[in-house]
Amino acid sequence: MRLPISLLSLSLLCLSSIISAQQSAEEQITSFFNANTKSDTTSGSGHTNNWAVLVCASRYWFNYRHMANALGMYRTVKRLGIPDSNIILMLSDDAACNTRNKFPGCVFASAHGPGRATGKGGGGQDSLDLYGDNIEVDYRGYEVTVENFLRVLTGRVPPSVPRSKRLLSNDRSNVFIYMTGHGGNEFLKFQDDEEISAFDIADALEQMWQKKRYSEVLFMIDTCQANTMFSKFYSPNILATGSSEMDEKSYSFENDNDLGVAVIDSYTHYVLKFMEGINKTSQMTMQDLFNTYSFDKFHSTAGVRSDLFNRPLDKTYITDFLGGVSQAEVLIPLPPSDPPLEPESQHEYSAAPAPHDFNTTSEPKEEEVSLFPELATHLLDDAEKSTLRAWTSTAVLLGLVGWVAARRSASAKASP
Amino acid sequence: MSLCSTQTLGKVFDETFQETLTLRPLSDGRLLSAFSFTTVLKGATPRDPGTLEVEDEAQHYTLFPLALGQTLREYAVTELHMTLNAGKWNYDRWGYPEEIGVGTGAELWVYMGDSGKVSIDDRWQGLRNALAGLFCASLGSLDEQRTTSPSLTFRPEGSLPQWPFRHELRHASLPSENVCTENLTPFLKLLPCKGISGIASLLNPHRLFDSDWHGLGVHVRYLHNQGVEVRLSFQAVSDPVRYSMQGKRDWSLASVFDRAIHTTCPVASTSVVRVALPAEKSAILSPEPYGLSDGHAIYHVSDAAKPLDISMQWQEESKFIYPLASSIPPLTPISVQRTLKGSVQSQGRLSVVIQNHLPFTMQVSYLETMPWLLQFYLHSLRVTHNGGPRDDLVSIVSYTPPVPHLRPTLFQALLTLPPKGTLHLSMDVMKPFLRYTEHPPDAERGWDLPPAVFVPLMSSNHTSADDPTSGANVSDVYLKHQSRKIYTPVLLVDLATPDFSMPYNVIILSCTLIALIFGSVFNRLTRKFVVVRVNQESTDPQTDVVPAFASDKDRSI
Repeated sequence: MRLPISLLSLSLLCLSSIISAQQSAEEQITSFFNANTKSDTTSGSGHTNNWAVLVCASRYWFNYRHMANALGMYRTVKRLGIPDSNIILMLSDDAACNTRNKFPGCVFASAHGPGRATGKGGGGQDSLDLYGDNIEVDYRGYEVTVENFLRVLTGRVPPSVPRSKRLLSNDRSNVFIYMTGHGGNEFLKFQDDEEISAFDIADALEQMWQKKRYSEVLFMIDTCQANTMFSKFYSPNILATGSSEMDEKSYSFENDNDLGVAVIDSYTHYVLKFMEGINKTSQMTMQDLFNTYSFDKFHSTAGVRSDLFNRPLDKTYITDFLGGVSQAEVLIPLPPSDPPLEPESQHEYSAAPAPHDFNTTSEPKEEEVSLFPELATHLLDDAEKSTLRAWTSTAVLLGLVGWVAARRSASAKASP
Repeated sequence: MSLCSTQTLGKVFDETFQETLTLRPLSDGRLLSAFSFTTVLKGATPRDPGTLEVEDEAQHYTLFPLALGQTLREYAVTELHMTLNAGKWNYDRWGYPEEIGVGTGAELWVYMGDSGKVSIDDRWQGLRNALAGLFCASLGSLDEQRTTSPSLTFRPEGSLPQWPFRHELRHASLPSENVCTENLTPFLKLLPCKGISGIASLLNPHRLFDSDWHGLGVHVRYLHNQGVEVRLSFQAVSDPVRYSMQGKRDWSLASVFDRAIHTTCPVASTSVVRVALPAEKSAILSPEPYGLSDGHAIYHVSDAAKPLDISMQWQEESKFIYPLASSIPPLTPISVQRTLKGSVQSQGRLSVVIQNHLPFTMQVSYLETMPWLLQFYLHSLRVTHNGGPRDDLVSIVSYTPPVPHLRPTLFQALLTLPPKGTLHLSMDVMKPFLRYTEHPPDAERGWDLPPAVFVPLMSSNHTSADDPTSGANVSDVYLKHQSRKIYTPVLLVDLATPDFSMPYNVIILSCTLIALIFGSVFNRLTRKFVVVRVNQESTDPQTDVVPAFASDKDRSI
C-alpha cells in the first residue's frame, strides 16, 4: 500500500516540477522581452507603436509662435524616438523660409541671446532651433484644412494619398494629438478661414475608436479657451490637457526683438522645457507633467481631463505617448486548451480588445460599426412618445401652412 | 510559387553616380552655385505602360534612389522634371542658369506613354500625390485646373522608347509654392551619400535658404544608349557682398555654405568642382586647381587635399562696386518683361515686352499656361514693334480656352522678333468671379500666376512643329536646335473678394427667422395657455391673474 502511494506522490512531484520548470522558463522569456518595456514596472500601456499628429492651424508671420509651438512638439517626439514616418506634421505657413525671417531655415523656441545675433543662420548656443536641418512637413500651407485634419484622423483619404500623409495607426497605437492656433469657446480657427469645433474632434475620435485606430490618445492643445476643446470628448482611453479654461486667454511667452514677433506660447514653452529634461528611458509620468502646471507660469489655468482615461496618471509614462517605444510580445504556441501567455500589462485596461486575438486586432472591421450607436439603442425607449407627438404636430403645422397657401392661391385666383 | 518567384526576380543594373558643383561669380557680385547629382541606371528602360496591369518586377538599386525609382515604375513615367524654386531669376544680370528650369514655385512636367491600360490622367494624379509625399510639397494641388500639355515648349530632353503607342505630356505649375528645409531633407535622402560626404555635404539649409535665389530639381530621362538617368540638382545664388563686413565679393566655400568638403563620397565615380573664371584677371583662386577646361577651373574632390575649401579673392578690390545695368552686355538673346495692367478687379491688360538683343531676326515661342483665374480676350491681341503696329509678327500656334473651375488656358504662339528691336504684345484679360469656397485662406493677398515661358529658336527656318512622340530620332534632332527656355517672373492678380463674413450674417439671420417662426407656431400648436391664480387673497387686482405658458406636464402638477 505504501509503495503505490509513494510512487504516486513521486510522480506528482515530478509532474509539478516539470510544470514549474516550464513556467519558470516562460517567465524568464517574458521577463527578458519585457525588460526594456514598462510593463514590469506597471505602466500598463499595451501599445506597440506610437503616432503623433501635430497641427499648427495659424497662418501668417505674426503667428510665428504657433509654428514654434508645433515644431517644439515635433522636436520632442522625434527626439524621444517617434520616426518621421509616424509623425504627421501640419504647418499652415512657412515661418522658417519666410522672407521676413532674419534667420532663414530656423524657428526658435526662445528669444535670442548674444550667441545667435552673431552666428548667421546657424543659430546660437542659447536659443533652440526647432527647425533643424532634418524635418519633414507632411501637410503645409493651404493643405492644412479642417477637412484634411479630420481625414487624417479618421483615415478617410483618397487611395492615391501617400503613406507619409496618412495616420496608419491600429488598435495598439498610442496617438499624441497636439493642436495650436487661435481658438475660442469650443472651436479652433484654421488659417483664419474655417473653424473646427469641439464636437468635430470628439466625433472624429469616436470614429477612430470604433475603427480601432488607437489604443490611447493624448490630446494636448494650446490655444485660448483650450479646455473647452476637449469638453465634448466621449470616447474611451483619451487623456486630454489644454492650456486655458473657458473665458481665459493663452498668452505668448516672450518677444524676440530680432524677429519682431512673439516666439512661443507660455504653456508650450513650459511643456517643452519639461520635455527637454526627459529622454527615451525616462520614468517621468503624466502626473509629473501636470504637477508642473501653475497659473503663475502660464497666466492661464491649464486643465487636465482624465475621466475617460483608465490608467492612473502617476503610472502613465510621458514616453507612452511622446516616445517611440516598441514592445515585443511573447506568444508561445501552447495547446489550445491552455490560455495563451500574455504580458501582465494587457490585463490592466479592460476596454481594449483582447490583444492576442489577431483576427480582431489587426484588421479593423469597419462594416460592423454602427453609424448611430446612441440613437439605435435609446430612440424607442422613453422618448418615443414625445418624438411621436413632435412629428405629429410638425405634420399638422405643415398641413396648416399648405392649407393657408392653398387658400391664398385660391383667393388670388378669385380676386381678379 | 515558381511563377511568383520568377516574376519578383528583378534585373540588377550597373549604376554610376557622378556629382558636380559649378560655381560661377556673377556680374553683380553674387555667386551662383549649382549642384548636380547624376545617377545612371545603365541598360535600364522605363517601364512599358502596356505592362501596368501586370505586377512589376522587383527593383534592386544600389545607388539609384529607390523611393523615386518605385514611383517612376508604379506610374510608368518615361521622363520627369520637377522643380521647386524660390525667388526671381534675373536673366539680365545672371545670364542663363546652369539648370534650365527656374520658374518660381513648383513645376512638374512628365512624359508618359499612353497604352490605354490605366488612363494617363489617373497616373498623372497618382504621380503628383506620390511626389507630394516624397518631397513634402503641395504638388497634390497641381490638379486638372492647372494641367496642360504644351508640347511645343516642353520637348523631351532625353529619348522616348520605341513603343507602339503615343507619349503624352502633362505639365502643371504652382507658383505660390515655397521651398524650405522640409524639401531639402527628402532630397538629401535620395542621394547615395546623403548629406554626409562629398559635394552634398555643402548643402547646408541655413545658408541655402538665406540665398537670394534657390531651387531644387529632379530630372529623370531615358537616354537611348545609356539607360535611365536621374539628375538631382540644387541651385542657389548667394550674395558674398552681403556676408562680407567690408563689402567685398570675395567668397569661399566656408563663407558661402559655412562648411567645407571634408570627405569624398566613396561611391561617386567622379566628384568635380568647377569654378567659372571671371573676366577680371585680378581674381585669385586657391587652392591651385587641378586643371582648366572651357573657362572653368577644375577640382577633383577625391584627389584634393582635405578639407577642400575653395576660395576666390579680388585682391585689387577694396570694396565691390555694383556695375550699372547699362554697362552689362546682354547675357541672353532676349529680355522679357511681363506685367498685368489695370487697377479694377474685373478686367485688365496683359502686357509683354520682348527685346531682341541679337542683330538678326529671331523666332521665339511664347507659352502661357494660365489658370482660369485670368482669361484672355484673344481678339484684343495687339503687337507693336518700335511703336508701329505689326500684328503679322505673331502667329498663334494653339489656343485652348479655359473652362472655369475646370481647365486652364493654353496659349502657344510663335513670335518673330526683328533684329535689335523691342516687341510690345498686349491683350485684354478678364478676371472672373470666384465661388465663395474657391478663395484661399489669405484671399486678399491675390493669386500667383505661373510664369510664361519663352524659347528662342535660333534657326528661323527650322519648324518646330515636329511631333515629339514619333520617336527618339526626331527629338534628338530637335535637341541640337533647341535653345534654352526663359521663364518670366510670376504675376500676382487681385481678384474680387467677397466680404467673407457676409454668408455667416445671412445664415445667422435666416436661421434666426426660421427658428422664431417655427418655434412660435410649434408652441401655439402643442401648448395651451391657461390662467394660473398665484395668490387668491391678494388685494391688488393687477397681480392676481398671471398669464403663463404651461405645457400639459406643467398643468398636471
